[in-house]
Amino acid sequence: MPLSRYCRIMAVAAALCFLPAAVLAQEFSPIKRNNNAPPKPSGPTPRIADGHPDLTGVWNGLGDNLLGVPNQIANNGLSIESESVTRDLHSGALIATFPRNTTRPLNNEQSERAATLLRRVGSNKPIYKPEYWEMVKNLDHNSNEEDPSNNCMPAGIPRAGIPSYIGQFPNYFIFIYPGQGGLIATQTMYRMIPADGRKHTPLQDLDGTYTGEGIAHWEGDTLVVDTWGFTSNTWFDQLGGYFHSENMHVTERFHRDGNTLTWTATVEDPDVLLEPWTTTPRVALLNPRPGAMLPESQPCSERDLSHIVTKEHH
Amino acid sequence: MTRLRITGFLLTGFICVLVMALPVWAHHSVQAQFDIHKSVSVSGTVAKIEWINPHSYLTVNVKDPEGKLQKWAFELGGAAALRRAGMSRADRGGLKPGDQVTVTALPARDGSNSGFLQELKIADGRTYKFTTDANGQ
Repeated sequence: MPLSRYCRIMAVAAALCFLPAAVLAQEFSPIKRNNNAPPKPSGPTPRIADGHPDLTGVWNGLGDNLLGVPNQIANNGLSIESESVTRDLHSGALIATFPRNTTRPLNNEQSERAATLLRRVGSNKPIYKPEYWEMVKNLDHNSNEEDPSNNCMPAGIPRAGIPSYIGQFPNYFIFIYPGQGGLIATQTMYRMIPADGRKHTPLQDLDGTYTGEGIAHWEGDTLVVDTWGFTSNTWFDQLGGYFHSENMHVTERFHRDGNTLTWTATVEDPDVLLEPWTTTPRVALLNPRPGAMLPESQPCSERDLSHIVTKEHH
Repeated sequence: MTRLRITGFLLTGFICVLVMALPVWAHHSVQAQFDIHKSVSVSGTVAKIEWINPHSYLTVNVKDPEGKLQKWAFELGGAAALRRAGMSRADRGGLKPGDQVTVTALPARDGSNSGFLQELKIADGRTYKFTTDANGQ
């Protein structure tokens, strides 16, 4: 092999080694996707000795959910099916949409505004008590300033969605949610969740935190994580100004089917909501690469929001 | 040798895959911060380049008309955008503090010394162009 070629290869190898790992993972996509429909399961569901499914793995599919969370639009209950058609996953209805997911040279103003609208047309919305409707609308309208997780603060639960890594042990689980710079800018969160039959600490004895006190148990093949003890400084969905009280109670359900993991979260907060609200199911894909590892996420340092001069937002 | 050739092939494939990145979602509206219809150009030396969330930044030391040093901060697109512009680490040999650069950017709408990087010219005359396309890539 000529020396120059060898040097070139070594230079590329060195470059790959030095590039921040999270950047590689965020932008690794062997398939140019033009839709974000939830992935279909394939393959067997591995099980541990006691018969329960093994949820261990890097659940970032083809890298999608290191950019944010898996299927960010689907997170709001929407699936982009073609350039101009979006499906509301909650109602099943098709919505004609501005061609957001396109390579045509639209200008940024059109594209951004179309995407902002699209993210808000899903029909599965939490129902607040009437006295909070104006507040929710204002929080969403002013989200550049008001979004509590967009300046490198933790996204909290359940906004963080499906963890990118799950480690399953006999009496506990480890969940890792890498920091992201996608739709919102958040820092890395982790949870160590006992599954040993213990009961919750009384709510009044807990200081509110971003991930709360989560305790796991199995209901058949579904892992249920029951969490309370939250700070009120998070929103419980990606968009919309969906604030909550410190009395929020979240029930997450994780169900593995082959190489997919389906997640829902039910939010109960009688202080502000008229009724419990359940997310539209979100589906993550197991990373298909053999020996897949969760890469380091980039540190988060927000420098833009103080320079923003209009109300336009994500 | 064969092993090296295979490695080279795999790496080349990997790079090709990286180029076809998914759209990047910005955590804020570009036009809410930058004037997408204007541009600003400054020359100076690289102070630092940071690979961070939610946006990477290139900070440049620029001398003002009185000779005083001012820092300019330029927001960068994702790493994929830098590679598409031919600015991978392998291509550019590593941009480092002290390098002379001329930067053209979308200016900040609040008048601060900052912008959204559009074009970068380095000391040997090579120029890298970045565009803000419809999908914000």
